[in-house]
Amino acid sequence: MTVIELKNYTWRYLDTEKPALSEINLKIKEGEFIGIIGSNGAGKTTLSYSINGLIPGQYHGIKKGEVLVFGQEVEEYDKGALQHRVGMVFSDPEAQFTAMTVEDELVFGLENLGMSLSQIKERLEWVVELTGLGPLLNKPPYELSGGQKQRVAVGAVLAMTPDILIMDEPTSMLDPLSRTRVFNVLEEIKKEQNNTVIVVEHSLEKLVPLADRLMLLDDGELILFDETQAFFEKMPLILEKGINPPGVMQFFYRLHEEGSYHDKFPLTVAEGVEKMHSILRKS
Amino acid sequence: MENYIVVKNLIYNYPDGTRALNDINLEIKRGEFIAFIGQNGSGKTTLSKCLNGLFKPTRGEVIVDGLVSQKTPIVQMVKRVGYVFQNPDHQLFNNNCWDEIAYGPRNIQLEEEEVKTRVEEAAKVVDLDPYYFDEHPFFLSKGLRQRVAIASILALRPHVIIVDEPTTGQDFKQSIEIMNFLTRLNREEGHTIIIITHDMPIVASFAKRVIVLGMGTILVDGTPQEVFSRPNDLARTHIEPPQITQFAQAVSELGFDKGTLSVNEMYDQFKTISQGS
Repeated sequence: MTVIELKNYTWRYLDTEKPALSEINLKIKEGEFIGIIGSNGAGKTTLSYSINGLIPGQYHGIKKGEVLVFGQEVEEYDKGALQHRVGMVFSDPEAQFTAMTVEDELVFGLENLGMSLSQIKERLEWVVELTGLGPLLNKPPYELSGGQKQRVAVGAVLAMTPDILIMDEPTSMLDPLSRTRVFNVLEEIKKEQNNTVIVVEHSLEKLVPLADRLMLLDDGELILFDETQAFFEKMPLILEKGINPPGVMQFFYRLHEEGSYHDKFPLTVAEGVEKMHSILRKS
Repeated sequence: MENYIVVKNLIYNYPDGTRALNDINLEIKRGEFIAFIGQNGSGKTTLSKCLNGLFKPTRGEVIVDGLVSQKTPIVQMVKRVGYVFQNPDHQLFNNNCWDEIAYGPRNIQLEEEEVKTRVEEAAKVVDLDPYYFDEHPFFLSKGLRQRVAIASILALRPHVIIVDEPTTGQDFKQSIEIMNFLTRLNREEGHTIIIITHDMPIVASFAKRVIVLGMGTILVDGTPQEVFSRPNDLARTHIEPPQITQFAQAVSELGFDKGTLSVNEMYDQFKTISQGS
């Protein structure tokens, strides 16, 4: 089932001359894990806001084409209705804080969804466990470090487990293991509950093993959107656009370039190890 | 080389009594390029703020350029150790870039003539076009805002520059640019550079010394090769080596070095190993 569909979608912010996104056509199916990559200014955040309805709701600009979420144009949803089904983690976690304590921040969305107290308690326990925020529950969000704030922002949206989760650089301030933990949770949610997950990321090491498909935005245009393995067959284009593929993949691309490797590029360290053994056995 | 910073048995408690740093001993020489790494809440930022005198030790000593931080006015400290905030927006507060960069020099009561020299010099070092002097920092890109933030620190001409998460929110190209810029400050201008980061490939490519903090103490202190070839020690601290290093470690029985830091190093070893087999 298609949950997101963009048809000839163009968005130009009011005070700019060039569209932030032009002529975007894409479909995303229920339960897909999508990675959005591209340089800063390519349109990644604009695309996220367009799917979540913040655009055109909260921004002035000119829209052409259609953005359909669950088959309905985002503009036609009642105020707030779309945001119940499409949750968003902002790249600047402070942008989404409204409450005076971490605990209130985590349950704010759940209360808004009209959950019962026992349900809220259950969800809160689950998300506190996942994010390790237990010791910080009574602190005001503004007193936390950057990484802690980011965990709260991620936790608050995970708690709601919306049908579609959009995360704009959700782990940029996290240490590597916390980053792994966030990605593992996203994978779990997708597998167990068939939620659709969309992640905007610069760091590809964690994203690549999990993403079903990757899209590359460049200067407002969707220039590549394919299954992860097939996506990296366009390596020269990807590198030209300033993307930094995971180290293992870069290594095999180097062998490919000199003509000594013709197989698929490994998406994980484990796949790389396997390929390395088979190459060195042959030679 | 002489020690520029000496930290002796440093203990720092937050005002609520929580212990943030526990018995830190550290020596930093002129001209080093250091990365502080460690999990969120490990004490990286707190240690940095002790180094520039923003925080005074609860016990122990921080000595910078021969000055003991407890007894030295903050004005003297910030002239020696500059700290660039994680989020430039937490640091920038003036209405235009000129005033932003001039704020520090004016604050230490330099003559307006000298302030002008300092601002122009700092802007030149960070490659900030004078065109931006009248612009409001809010309207600049994050990369440019960060440069303004660094320029405002440079205008005080500190010897040590600490940059908290220089690459967060930057794309790959911007990250490399900012790191090349810090490398230039280190090599050509002779500054001691300390970065605080979670980006291990950046640490592997740019830092010469890595200090791993955990639970308010220094757990490991060494070159990137030494630190990253100890994955088990690192796991305790929520850190993992760059992916290429993990890869080299996973195939180390084939002859790859566990301290491999880059794709180039991996490739060179591969050439040797495949020709030998």
